[in-house]
Amino acid sequence: MMAEYLTALAAVLAAPFLGGILMGLDRVVSARLQSRQGPPLVQPFYDILKLFAKRRMAANTFQMISVSVYLASMVLSLALLVMGQDLLVLLFILALGNIMLILGGFSVKSPYSQLGSQREVIVLLAYEPLLVCMVVGTYILTGSFSAASVFGLERPLALSMPAFVITQTLVMAMKLHKSPFDVSASHHAHQELVRGIYTEFSGPQMAVIELAHLYELVLLLGFIVLFWHTNLVVGIVLALACHAAVIVLDNVSARMTTRWMFGFTWSVGLALAAANLAALYATGPLPR
Amino acid sequence: MGLLEPLLKISPLTLAAVLVFSPALFGVVVFAVRTKWSRKGVVTVAGWVLTLAAITVFAIAFVSRTALSATLPAKAAPWSMIVAGGDLALLAAILVIAVRFRSAMVFGVALVQLAVVLYAELTGGHAAEAAPSVFIDWLSVVMVMIVSVIGSIIAVYGLPYMKEHERHLGIDEAGSHRPGFFLTMLVFLGAMNGLVISDDLRWVFFFWEVTTLCSFLLIRHDGTDLANTNALRALWMNTLGGVGFAVAIVLFGAHAHTYSVQALLRSPMGAAASLPILAALACLMFAAFTKSAQMPFHSWLLGAMVAPTPVSALLHSSTMVKAGVYLLMRFAPAFHGTQLSNVLAIAGGFTFVATAFLAIGQTNAKKILAYSTISNLGLIIACTGLNRPLALAAAVMLLIFHALSKGLLFMACGVVEHGIHSRDIEDMQGLVNRMPLTTLIMVIGILSMLLPPFGVLIAKLAAIEASVHLPLAMGMLVIGSTLTVAFWTKWTGRLLASEPGAVHPKIEHLHVMYFVPLVLLTVGAVAFSLAVFPLLTELVEPAVTQYYALVPGAAGGVDLSTDVLAVPWLLVFGVMATAVLAPVLVARTRPDEEVGAYMCGEQIETPNGSGFITVAEQSCSLSIRGHYFERYVGEDRHTLWMSLVAASLIAGMFGSVAVR
Repeated sequence: MMAEYLTALAAVLAAPFLGGILMGLDRVVSARLQSRQGPPLVQPFYDILKLFAKRRMAANTFQMISVSVYLASMVLSLALLVMGQDLLVLLFILALGNIMLILGGFSVKSPYSQLGSQREVIVLLAYEPLLVCMVVGTYILTGSFSAASVFGLERPLALSMPAFVITQTLVMAMKLHKSPFDVSASHHAHQELVRGIYTEFSGPQMAVIELAHLYELVLLLGFIVLFWHTNLVVGIVLALACHAAVIVLDNVSARMTTRWMFGFTWSVGLALAAANLAALYATGPLPR
Repeated sequence: MGLLEPLLKISPLTLAAVLVFSPALFGVVVFAVRTKWSRKGVVTVAGWVLTLAAITVFAIAFVSRTALSATLPAKAAPWSMIVAGGDLALLAAILVIAVRFRSAMVFGVALVQLAVVLYAELTGGHAAEAAPSVFIDWLSVVMVMIVSVIGSIIAVYGLPYMKEHERHLGIDEAGSHRPGFFLTMLVFLGAMNGLVISDDLRWVFFFWEVTTLCSFLLIRHDGTDLANTNALRALWMNTLGGVGFAVAIVLFGAHAHTYSVQALLRSPMGAAASLPILAALACLMFAAFTKSAQMPFHSWLLGAMVAPTPVSALLHSSTMVKAGVYLLMRFAPAFHGTQLSNVLAIAGGFTFVATAFLAIGQTNAKKILAYSTISNLGLIIACTGLNRPLALAAAVMLLIFHALSKGLLFMACGVVEHGIHSRDIEDMQGLVNRMPLTTLIMVIGILSMLLPPFGVLIAKLAAIEASVHLPLAMGMLVIGSTLTVAFWTKWTGRLLASEPGAVHPKIEHLHVMYFVPLVLLTVGAVAFSLAVFPLLTELVEPAVTQYYALVPGAAGGVDLSTDVLAVPWLLVFGVMATAVLAPVLVARTRPDEEVGAYMCGEQIETPNGSGFITVAEQSCSLSIRGHYFERYVGEDRHTLWMSLVAASLIAGMFGSVAVR
């Protein structure tokens, strides 16, 4: 029990560094793809430190609560994953953070922020069923929702649930606001939404959000590592490959509409998930 | 425990009498003595009496650890005549209403029910005398608590609300309809209590029909054309459900030779049940679907929102619709392990998804709440159909948490409606600046319906876990839960959102009789969520254990241990509480740190507020509105086919009996 908590603590402390490097890599790779020099690898850390040093300004107190709950939910989700806890609970704690951020975006008076929040609701609606279906798939295989029971499987998930490697990659692109799914906000303020849902967050609040993004990235990659838990090296390579796919997708595609995104994930994404689940029901063991 | 020892000596029959008759008696006093103060006093006292009685029942059940049961002597009175007379009197009242309002539909359905009831009377002569017998197990205790405590809180809230309501309509004290209103409300509470503690199906049916009649009277309370139309729709649909109930009684009497629910549950049931018995169960399901406003009968509950808000709060949270799901949960052991149970799960799951989908396109707050209620009842029914210990535990938890949160939300909506004279959530935009206190309560209410660590969500997780063995139902639960998130989040967003421009939030004044009920339910929703695990072990698990003791082959211990419960919730609660409180306590913004909105582009002041200079130097004013996606999720587009699917699922329930 104690060891579990310590492992979780270690993961929580290490995650921002790992996430920051990966985020920096993303920016370097993206810059090279666009024939730019790009920032140094550690730029995400500079950004966060700089933001923390800025003067605090806020639209209201609720906005600050939304930011802190957002961070807390990302940290908790990561801790629960490392501790091998219930994946369904984890997903809803993750959703809690996203919903609070959406509400934070609603609570300010900027039309850009509010439009971003309205669209983020659709983004949430688009990826949430894919995540839950993935977790249901693990239940069919193990008879339990706990991540720990996945650790106990002999066969890597990726072999029995290949479609979910694809859906998880899509979910990652959506959650990281990458093209073509960057409808509610994007990493750059070069669109009609300005910075969408993030428009009214500044200084230390924005720093907290950026920090939470680092956790989110590590968490999403952690999900993919879970798909090849039997050999962590393969798992990590798989995760990095998916991350690379997301970065390439971001650079080669243009932003689509909210409607397209919703239609795409609920048709193609859910069809993939359903087909894989059907195969699992047909072949997989369903104990208890 | 020694202190509680005397409690055990109180006869269940005495308690039953208090729970069922005291509200009606207080109601008569309110009706007879028409002064403002007597009304306030008597309704409040009635609430206290009911609450104390419910707590006593809980305490006794807690100490004795067994179900309480008692029966009045069969020879004491011509019980069968009394209950039959009651049924016929209710039907006569419904027929009179049908004639008075010229409703052929109500008249026809009531005549059919009359025929079935008379047939039951004429053929059921061999059955035992219908002596009132009380059976209170944990499920009844939970229901009695919900009905009596939350119902009383709503009745008290109704006092200032109805006063303001009548002032708004220009009705003076002399012509006030309030005495009748509170009489009906209190009788309603008593009938609900009767319904959940009676063991004889004939008495359950009698109380079932009383709630039908009471809901009609409450829905048509304002007497407008719309109120009459909608109340009549509620009446015929619920009377139709009553026909199903009556047919079930006839079938049970003819083939199981008993009307005692407990005796029925102990007779050969489930896979061993004969065809007529399964048909009777399907009829009960049909009755429950009408009462709990499942598709295609959901329109009566949507229409019921024309009634004053305390009525909506009562119908949605603690009474009426809960009677339907109670009946199903009560009979769940009887259809355990049958195909019928699976079809029931699918039918409930369908309503859960369909109405959550329709809720997304609504702007009317009460309609969103109504769709959400129907959706949650569908979820409870799906859990009942899944018929596993964990699913039943989820159903009981949903019963409790939904009652708390929905009662709270309706009452908050009523306060808002009196504050801004609208129930449209577009008009609630920026409510956080106009009514910060009510908004806070409303937001807590909404979040308690969808976020961890609140109880509704934990129950939903348990439901999903229990549904894995029925993939179709599971798919419905997953999709439905996601859609639920969408409409609640959109609504909360509107409450918090406001257009650019300076506003100074001012805390509103709330009438003490608004404030206290709202705060009680808010604290209840939060406290019960924090105490979800004691609640589970002390209340829900015993209820499920008592239920499972009746399932042949499944007797023995009930194991509710799941991964959901193994989560270090204390850590989760702790981190979340810190995250919420830290900015409030430590990092609260000072006024000089609060800034306006970043608008981007050249801005101007227009007559309608802020605006922009746009292309060709044109000025355009700014306004912010919500998205409702009417083109995709509009009621007009979907209600018909959804109702047809739901109707065929109900047909499927009967079909599954036939093809067994």
